Amino acid sequence: MEQNVMLNQEESQLSVEGLKVRFFTSKGIVKAIDNLSFSIRKGESYGLVGESGSGKSVTATSVMDLIPDPPGRIIRGKIFINGYNILNDLDRLVTIRIRKPTDVRIKRRKRLMKRHNYIMSGIRGDRVAMIFQEPFLSLNPVMTIGDQIREAILLHSRVEIANSIIKRETLNEDDVSKIADTLMAQPDNFTRKKLIVRVCSQYAIPELAKLFIDLFENSTDKEFITKELLSLVNTKKTGLSLEELEEARNYFLLMDRKHDLSLRLLEAEKQENEKLAEKLHLQIRAINQQLRSDYLVYSLKRRFLRRFIDKPFVEYATGRTLELLMQVNIAGPERVIDAYPHELSGGMLQRCMIAMAFSSNPQILIADEPTTALDVTTQAQILDLMREVNKTYNTSIFFITHDLAVIAEMCDRVGVIYGGNLVEEASVKEIFYNAKHPYTTGLMNAIPKAERRYEKTARLESIPGSVPNLIDPPTGCRFHPRCKFRMDVCSEKKPKLVEIEKEHKVACFLYSDEVENEIEEEVP
Amino acid sequence: MELKYFILRRSLVIIPTLMGLTVITFILLWGLGPELIYRGINSSPKVNIPLSQQALILSQNGFSAAVVNGKLVFTNPIGMYFNFVSDLFRGNWGYIIGQPLTAPTLQAIEFYFPNTIQLAVGATVMALLIAMPLGTYIGARPNSASDQVGRIFSLSGYALPAFWLGLVLIVLFGNNGTAGFGNGTSGNTPVGIIPYLNIFPYFGNGTEFLSTTAPKGFFSSTFGQTLPTHIFLIDSLIAGKLNYFVIALAHMVLPVATVTYGVLAGILRFIRAGMVDASGQEFVKTARAKGVPEGQVIKKHIRKNALLPTVTVLGLLISGLLGGVVTVEIVFNYKGIGWLAVQAALNYQAWGILAITFLFGIILMVTNLIVDVVYAFMDPRIRY
Ligand code: SF4
Repeated sequence: MEQNVMLNQEESQLSVEGLKVRFFTSKGIVKAIDNLSFSIRKGESYGLVGESGSGKSVTATSVMDLIPDPPGRIIRGKIFINGYNILNDLDRLVTIRIRKPTDVRIKRRKRLMKRHNYIMSGIRGDRVAMIFQEPFLSLNPVMTIGDQIREAILLHSRVEIANSIIKRETLNEDDVSKIADTLMAQPDNFTRKKLIVRVCSQYAIPELAKLFIDLFENSTDKEFITKELLSLVNTKKTGLSLEELEEARNYFLLMDRKHDLSLRLLEAEKQENEKLAEKLHLQIRAINQQLRSDYLVYSLKRRFLRRFIDKPFVEYATGRTLELLMQVNIAGPERVIDAYPHELSGGMLQRCMIAMAFSSNPQILIADEPTTALDVTTQAQILDLMREVNKTYNTSIFFITHDLAVIAEMCDRVGVIYGGNLVEEASVKEIFYNAKHPYTTGLMNAIPKAERRYEKTARLESIPGSVPNLIDPPTGCRFHPRCKFRMDVCSEKKPKLVEIEKEHKVACFLYSDEVENEIEEEVP
Repeated sequence: MELKYFILRRSLVIIPTLMGLTVITFILLWGLGPELIYRGINSSPKVNIPLSQQALILSQNGFSAAVVNGKLVFTNPIGMYFNFVSDLFRGNWGYIIGQPLTAPTLQAIEFYFPNTIQLAVGATVMALLIAMPLGTYIGARPNSASDQVGRIFSLSGYALPAFWLGLVLIVLFGNNGTAGFGNGTSGNTPVGIIPYLNIFPYFGNGTEFLSTTAPKGFFSSTFGQTLPTHIFLIDSLIAGKLNYFVIALAHMVLPVATVTYGVLAGILRFIRAGMVDASGQEFVKTARAKGVPEGQVIKKHIRKNALLPTVTVLGLLISGLLGGVVTVEIVFNYKGIGWLAVQAALNYQAWGILAITFLFGIILMVTNLIVDVVYAFMDPRIRY
């Protein structure tokens, strides 16, 4: 079993193990998530279904480590993103290392928290991105769409931006003629357009895209086009000093490296690998030293002359924003980029959110009921868009919804969550045609189906009862008060999620006798 | 472009408000009665002449008055109102006679008002400078120890009357003339007050001090006949006299601190509430999920939204500020408009009272206009 988990971890982008989330409210402790484990593979799209209040959004938020604390806290579990466990075991770390008076502990906790936040801000949005249920509420009302997308780009892609700007500044005749060649070779206008946009953003000349497109539409003479392109490109060269740009690039490279090292350091500390930790610590120190000596002037400049020094970066980010907006099929991106959220429709805003999420090509996209607040036609468009993006970038999607139709459309595998527990997990086909768990079958029967209208008993089956109160959840199987097949054992013991067929796991005593040990940990 | 029209429209709204203000001022004038009005009708009214003659003079100046039952009373309010309004807009605001000075009311206001501007603007700027970072800090940590301290601080700012705080500050930090910059007139130390630390002067804005210590003809030689802006801090800088500037600054410390505290308390509470409110909103989660570092989430995303409700109450705070300024000016003998108002009231200067009422009304209108425009500027959801 252990080995199995390890294996999963390697091929998976995201894996959650034994997650336990509690909310400490005045009414009592809400046991929002209980021992949840699943993993999402590369390029796969995984759906999590459940009623509202079943803990699906909490799961999504936990994966980003964004549970508001207080009142919530992840009290146990591991969340691996690309093999890094992002959960902060800070309390444990603090107590392991130090058994001294509390103020020292608090100080250390603060320091670790700071480092954790620093690491997380490099992971969020970069490796994992998230889109939310309410596009109207999810965008800052006093910032333009462009500002918000730009912000995401500037946070995570500094090195790439510096590289493209350097590429632009060193663009010469040969390169331009090569570009012209590839563009000429495109079969039709549409693909060429797309390629032009991509090339332009690669070379940090996004504002030229339109002129390029015109050029190719008006002429087929290669010599002429090359000449024109060259002159166009030359007008855009700003004559920024390459030295400065390279300095900027190296600075950001160093920052990225520092982030990476810090991440590994925290990992090493969690595993109590003292030797490795020591080594990483020294490396980080060396980088800090270098930042203080070699890059002192640059970082000071960044601090005080940000507006000037960031100008090429911001320009690039603007171009990239336009490109992203075009990719999510927004008509008139020039207009949208300067619009405020209240000026756009829900569907548009959700597209913008997707554009923002994909600004740094994340490996995992978490979609927390992204279509619930939208009307049906827009829903379909957004789902199409997500599928398309999922294919082109090979991004894993973690899709959370209560809508089984959406799941059927979008997902490869599905987990069914009830009362904070995963009760069934299987491929989409299995779930829809071969559901095992009584709750899942209940859900399936609650879907309105067209053919059923002609049957005599045209009634939808519903599951009796309501979602359990998670402050004082039912004992044993959380579903037993509502279950038709309830047995005596059900209210006493909790069934374990076991694989009963290949790739099909169920937690129910109808299929297996394995019992899960319920241990309620002491919470500090 | 659209903003321009919005400002224009908002400014046009001022006109009916202004009319309302003149009506109220006029009712005040009516209530004050013809005798008090007569006393400021020209620069040297003859008081010991028969009432009928006084009535004649009043009517010549546009106030229909008559003697009824041996008493001077106003008649014909409608005609009088229009005369009054046209006088008001032509700058004919009557005279202040005797106490605290003899001058046309408008000129007196010109003389005293800049001092109040100096005090009020100084206090507002200080309050904003302190409240912004402080409110951001405690608003980002609701219910923490620092939040509790902040709450006590701002509640006490509400609870403590400005004149009392001013007296306490004088007792603690005042300088009765034995050290430092002095007060100019040490005889004006409030009775029974023995300054404790002897640091800051607490009498006037510095000109009084200079006029007693500086050689005769000092003002005319340093600043020319008139002070160019009447704001002593700026005047001294214009004249290039750094030492006077320091003196002026020292005189500003205590009054500004007193006024600041009240304003600060209000702003702080609103920024904190706005921060707490904004940080619970969904877009903050988006920002964090985007990978924005915590500090920037607070400064860029949360605070921008938290300031919106704060701006709306700023207008209200300014009216509170004006009220506070009156008492503070009295406590510190600071010769501003509030001081003038109190002196006018004490000395039955009807024209002074009318003028200051009118002036305060205009200030409120203008600040509210500014607040509206700033709000429209900050919140893109406002339709111009
Ligand atoms: S374990 Fe028992 S109560 Fe729970 S779903 Fe299975 S049969 Fe029903």
